[in-house]
Amino acid sequence: MKRALAVTLGILTAIGGFVDIGDLVANSETGARFGMRLAWVVVVGVIGICVYAEMSGRVAAVSGRPVFDLVRERLGPKVALANLAGSYLVTLLTLAAEIGGVALAIELATSVHYLLWVPIAAFVIWVVLWRMRFETMERVFGLAGLALVVFVVALIALDPPWRELGSQALGQASASGEGWASYGFFAVSLFAAAMTPYEVFFFSSGGVEEEWTRKDLITERTNVFIGFPLGGILSLAIMACAATVFAPLGVQVDSIGQTTLPVALALGKLGLAVVILGVFAATFGAALETGLSAGYTIAQYFGWRWGKSVAPRSAARFHTVVLVSLLLGVALLLTTVDPVTVTEVSLVFSAVALPLTYLPILVVANDRDYLGDQVNGRLANIFGVGYLAVILLAAVAAIPLMVITGMGTS
Amino acid sequence: MTPDPLRVDFHLLDRQVVDRHGRPVGKVDDIELHIDLDGTATVTALLVGQIALGLRIDGRFGTWLASVGRRLHTDRDPVPLRVPFHHVTDVGSAITLGIDLELLDEPPLERWLRDHVIARIPGARDARQ
Repeated sequence: MKRALAVTLGILTAIGGFVDIGDLVANSETGARFGMRLAWVVVVGVIGICVYAEMSGRVAAVSGRPVFDLVRERLGPKVALANLAGSYLVTLLTLAAEIGGVALAIELATSVHYLLWVPIAAFVIWVVLWRMRFETMERVFGLAGLALVVFVVALIALDPPWRELGSQALGQASASGEGWASYGFFAVSLFAAAMTPYEVFFFSSGGVEEEWTRKDLITERTNVFIGFPLGGILSLAIMACAATVFAPLGVQVDSIGQTTLPVALALGKLGLAVVILGVFAATFGAALETGLSAGYTIAQYFGWRWGKSVAPRSAARFHTVVLVSLLLGVALLLTTVDPVTVTEVSLVFSAVALPLTYLPILVVANDRDYLGDQVNGRLANIFGVGYLAVILLAAVAAIPLMVITGMGTS
Repeated sequence: MTPDPLRVDFHLLDRQVVDRHGRPVGKVDDIELHIDLDGTATVTALLVGQIALGLRIDGRFGTWLASVGRRLHTDRDPVPLRVPFHHVTDVGSAITLGIDLELLDEPPLERWLRDHVIARIPGARDARQ
């Protein structure tokens, strides 16, 4: 049982990358507009995040150094500062969106407008970050997020035209009727969401919080190779549900209520209750992940004490950053901005943050001073370099595509 | 254990400094060198904190960072935290000191935020292991 629970860090990390509030809607929207024609991006993203999360977790386990330590050490204070600015903004905007996501999930259950829930949601998130043990936190929200498996069940119950979905996924079906720019924009967004930098910040820092050592490398790898593919499967199931229900009708998806609709259609009230619980847990988990990551990046850049295993008064700067980030998130939401749009805007900052985060990880994962005999093998390096090229391409393409398509609306 | 030859830019600058229990002290934001008459340089101290970092980054942001660092100090003429190099016991993926964190001056920002913000919130004392 203990072994089974040891993978919750990987699951919680993957939730933030694949099924947070932005992705829940984006996966559904993609399914409605493109069928399964963009499913390959999720697969590419899962492999990419597995490669780099494994490297960052290995460095954390063997040397005790989390990702932002490596960024500062290998890129120097100036370039690392550019990365810090980009990464912090991505993390902060996503945190704001997740607080909104938690509130939207409660709105689905209560029909009380989500903005009224925002301050309450933020306060409860803060209490968990302030008081709950790291391991309890990761177990409760990692496991509760698994309620989203209901999308897989719903998909099977809907009994979709599997052959049609399969041929879309393999690129054999006819075109979706969407322009190439929209296709490119959604491809880049899905990829950037899968590889979003706070996943490696959170995963490696979580490894340090759990006091991983060389002996825990098996745990580390199990976390990576179970957690992220599971996130990818949930992501694909959501996409396929939307492709089955919405695409034939030509319905556009732009809200979380629509994302959950296929489950309600397939499984009725009980299914709806489970999916709302899943959305709540996933967005809450993603809020915890991004809230902590905001603190981790800044504390690790400056070398402050950080983490949940020390008393807050011994890590006052870290806890102040977490608290202020939450307050900024609430302030942003109370301007009535749409939480889903916020996650799309954060993509711009990923363009800076992604290459500058993954390059130092790759370099240090080859450094014998850090890793001794655990340095990258040939396979990890081939994948690492290949993905760095893809990341650069996505980073360069993101902004022009965003402008051309008006964030995917045209 | 110290690598030989010790490269200041590669082995020291921007690495994490930890005390003898592994608790973070800060980054090596800058170093202090002593140069002999015959030209040999020896590292005499690690400089830690925003003032040292700000001066090293330079430019508008660096100057601002250093001035904020100075403002937070209560001394009339604030200087960066100076850790004499003879306290260093290991130069590896982190710089390990042979002393306790408490023996070094507490960073002013940490003290201020603890006293004015964090310690006033209920539950600030408990570690959640």
